[in-house]
Amino acid sequence: MFDFSTSHFLIPDLLLLIFPFIVIGSRLFCNAQSKMPWRIANFGFIAIFILLNFIPLASGEGRFFISNWRIDDFGVLMREVLLVSAILGMWFAKDYFEHGADGKPQMHQIAEFIGAIAFATFGGVTVVSACDMLTFFLGLEIATIPMYALTAWNKKDQLGSEAATKYILMGSVATAFELFGFSYLYGFAGSLHFSEIQTAVASGTSPLLWVAVLFLFCGIGFKLTLFPFYTWAPDVYEGAPTPVTAVLSVTSKATAIAFLVVLVFGPLAPIQEQIAPLIALLAGTTLFVGNLGALKQSRLRRFMAYSSIAQAGYIMVALLGPAATAKTAIIYYLFVYAVSNYLAFFVFGIIGHHREETFASLRGLSKQNPSLAISLAISMFSLAGIPPLAGFFGKFHLFYSGASTGHYMLVAFAVLNNVLALFYYIQLIKSAWVDEPDGHLTPLRLTRRQRAVIVALSIAVVALGFLPFLSNNIVAGFSF
Amino acid sequence: MINDITLSYLIFLLPLLTFVVNGLFLGNRNAKAAAAFAIACNGIAAASAITVAIHYFTSTYAPQKATLFEFNFLPFAGDLVAKIGMLVDPLSVMMLVVVTFISFMVNIYSLGYMREDRAMGRFFALLSLFSFSMLGLVVATNLFQMFIFWELVGVSSYLLIGFWYHKPSAVSASKQAFILTRFADSFFLLGIVLVSYVIGSFDFSTINSLSLSDFRSGTINLGLIEMSQASALVLGSILIFTGGWGKSAMFPMHIWLPNAMEGPTPVSSIIHSATMVVAGVYLVARLFPFFAACGDSLTLIMWVGAFTMVFAAVIACTQKDIKRILAYSTLSQLGYMMFALGACKIGQAVFTTGWTASTFHIFTHAFFKCSLFLIAGSLIHQVHTNDLDAMGGLRKKMPVTYICTLISVLAISGIPPFSGFFSKDEIILAAFQGQHYAVFALALLTSGLTTFYMFRLFFLAFHGEPRHEGVRAGHVHEDFAMTLPIVVLAVPALLSGLLGKGLFEKYFTPGNLHVPVMLKLAHAEWIPFVAVAVAIIALLIAWFLYASPKAKIERALDETNRSGIYKVIYHKFYFDEMYYTVVRQFIFGGIARVARAFNDYVIEGLLAFSVWFIHKLGDLVRTAQAGYLPFYLGTLIVGVLLWRFFGQLPL
Repeated sequence: MFDFSTSHFLIPDLLLLIFPFIVIGSRLFCNAQSKMPWRIANFGFIAIFILLNFIPLASGEGRFFISNWRIDDFGVLMREVLLVSAILGMWFAKDYFEHGADGKPQMHQIAEFIGAIAFATFGGVTVVSACDMLTFFLGLEIATIPMYALTAWNKKDQLGSEAATKYILMGSVATAFELFGFSYLYGFAGSLHFSEIQTAVASGTSPLLWVAVLFLFCGIGFKLTLFPFYTWAPDVYEGAPTPVTAVLSVTSKATAIAFLVVLVFGPLAPIQEQIAPLIALLAGTTLFVGNLGALKQSRLRRFMAYSSIAQAGYIMVALLGPAATAKTAIIYYLFVYAVSNYLAFFVFGIIGHHREETFASLRGLSKQNPSLAISLAISMFSLAGIPPLAGFFGKFHLFYSGASTGHYMLVAFAVLNNVLALFYYIQLIKSAWVDEPDGHLTPLRLTRRQRAVIVALSIAVVALGFLPFLSNNIVAGFSF
Repeated sequence: MINDITLSYLIFLLPLLTFVVNGLFLGNRNAKAAAAFAIACNGIAAASAITVAIHYFTSTYAPQKATLFEFNFLPFAGDLVAKIGMLVDPLSVMMLVVVTFISFMVNIYSLGYMREDRAMGRFFALLSLFSFSMLGLVVATNLFQMFIFWELVGVSSYLLIGFWYHKPSAVSASKQAFILTRFADSFFLLGIVLVSYVIGSFDFSTINSLSLSDFRSGTINLGLIEMSQASALVLGSILIFTGGWGKSAMFPMHIWLPNAMEGPTPVSSIIHSATMVVAGVYLVARLFPFFAACGDSLTLIMWVGAFTMVFAAVIACTQKDIKRILAYSTLSQLGYMMFALGACKIGQAVFTTGWTASTFHIFTHAFFKCSLFLIAGSLIHQVHTNDLDAMGGLRKKMPVTYICTLISVLAISGIPPFSGFFSKDEIILAAFQGQHYAVFALALLTSGLTTFYMFRLFFLAFHGEPRHEGVRAGHVHEDFAMTLPIVVLAVPALLSGLLGKGLFEKYFTPGNLHVPVMLKLAHAEWIPFVAVAVAIIALLIAWFLYASPKAKIERALDETNRSGIYKVIYHKFYFDEMYYTVVRQFIFGGIARVARAFNDYVIEGLLAFSVWFIHKLGDLVRTAQAGYLPFYLGTLIVGVLLWRFFGQLPL
């Protein structure tokens, strides 16, 4: 159909760029109740995802478009992760436009909502394609700014507005850090282009470079919710509408980690060994604090916030490894994380449509709706990393990557933390499986779409774990 | 069409099939059908396992290893590939027979035991999952596969121990078992990562055939310290053993096992005899050449085993709950198996008696321990209490059970010609040959203690006058489905030692050892006589205290009411009373009490403290999250300063 060996490999990116305008534009031609934008959005996202799968993976430098838009294997797979996240996020959000949930009013303007998600996705795509600092920075901002808007989507919701205010204020400071870091990096290397920066870094270091590194890591630490820059996350996750929380915890996190991967294995590759202690410290403190925070929560979304903070810490562990191992581990884990996390959110979403989003609402779930309880258990066990579910193999890859450059202390610490994590994930399962049902809880009803998505995601989590070799072609079958 | 290879598939797949069918379809609809299906499938699996074992051991191929199937499961970077396969060698064939046979018996038994339970279908599904996981573990060809099934064993034991999830004690026991073994498993995983990183393979064949001298020169950076690859391997071997340490419930990680009694009795039976706890011993036996090559790891294993052995036996003497006595006796027997493996080292050389003895003891122990638990379940089912106080006088009411119990108790006590005699005798011999005389003495002592507490249980439960209303009134009968497996198991409890001895001595050696092997060993014909004498003396003491016409059982059981003359006579032997006398407090009561106190306050206290501490830290994180924006913005600045000073950047 398409010959992707020439510049046709750009087609998915171009489609993704114009796609939000089409979705938003379609609103002009139909009334508010029309399903047209929703259908276009579904078709568009899925089509782009399928097109991406046609791009043959090729090792080496990747392909260039006007010298500063590069598509390599990591980029292609990151695009797939981002699109999976966008599609699942969109499906998840749909219910919230039909009726309110968790004490919040119904949301409106689905076309614009999907447009915002698409912009954020495009931002992520820009980050993984960038070859110079300007594009890189722009990508990060394109990915972040729609998130501010999404957080405040419910204009009538006080908590949402408050969360968005906090988010945007803190985000601006983080952006300032980023820019500061970039400017020092430019000052050090005298060029915006990654390859030239890499050459400059390889030929010698100076305090300028270290200041740049410090500020870049601190800035991205905000987006990746690293310690101690994570403080916005619990409040924003709690205040934002649930689907936005889900998108934030996957798309935004994936973009941020992609940013770090591009940075650490690109321009900063020559000094990876010197910044390893910083990465290790960030990873260790983040996963520990995330786990500690999650221990004491009773609201589901706040709980997921801390859980995703801890997950960010685990992902950071992989950054210590050699490039190929680390990229493989991170991509695989992001797939697994996206699937497990969305599965958890879908279950919570269904609870939230009928009840409050708290642990207490899960009581007796195994009696009222066993299949939902099983899905919940699968996603929690996967996030906790119990074999043979996907989460275990994902974590194994991450730890293996960290261990292969000899960071055994950190890996040991992370593995021990996993026991801690098991403790709180089991709390949730206990609520669903052991606690007696509460007569006051309203019964749950699932629509066909919800049921289908939950079944598909549960199967995906189990299948990715039972048959990790199925994913050979997307994980281990290529080399960076 | 049906050959040994298809039979091997059957062994493996039938329990899985049972789990899937019962779990998804039959379990909720028709519990009877689910039970019948489970029994049929497990029966075929057991028959296949026995057929395969007979074919294997009668063929000329016998002591060699074979891989029946193997495929790549998960490729890592480089040559490191995790595989799933099926390994056949004497050890794994023996374990296949034990696991499938015990699981078959327990399934039949559960038909009677769980008859009135609402969730019977779920029970049969989980039981099959349990035996499937254990089967996957024993046929593993590499560490990674072993770890996957190892965890699966943990998960299924969690589900089964907490089977009666409406009982809070069951839920907390299952959580404790799961989290404690997971804690040990995290070290296991670290060990796997470390060892596979140094060696570059997960395969048992590679790991077992290395010798440390090849790794002396290379070094490896472990973050904090740099050590030679050889030392890293020794560290890795200890980490791997830690996994077995927790799974086999060795001191001080033993506390989950007695608490796991909260599960249904068939579950206890299968946990204690064929699955779960044996996994730790199996791990050490499987990797024996590796441990033998790795410095002094075996010595650590020996002392952990020996200490647990004595410690648990002493506690068992003071218990009154019938299932707890059996639980501590399992701990003690596992201690025997573990130390026998560890005792195989003299200086730098090794010998194989202990390995043979240990695997032999796994084999014999499985039958009589399973039988004892099933009997305990049967008694509890009739008398409705776990307490020995309320039993007694059951001999007339349950004659078949009585005979079978006698056989199993004689077997565990090591009285010839019952099975336990042969394996235990070899273990004691191994300690002697290894010149570990302290451990040898402890093993003899424990052998006496074992006989004592087992006969104490036996006499108190079956002899004397009935102390329970229901028994007196004659409401006791023997349930067919529950008695049948007990009778069937009495046969191997009696004969497996006699018949198995030749087989084990001929075929069971740990494979090619890459360390010097001692062939000339001390022979000591007198050991069996001493061991039997110790056992008989202990038996007589138990009889004298609990069953002789002169024994005052009420008084023996009632520790508060002791008449003067009687007390003087029994002070020397009677453990429960000794417990309360000042003189003996330092010897038995003292040790047991200190051990119990250590258990209750220090170990569980440490656990409680860590939980409390972690929770406090959790509170701290939560308090910091007060929703105060200036504070949040402050963290950004503080963060930059923090990593400026602690980030170890060369600024």
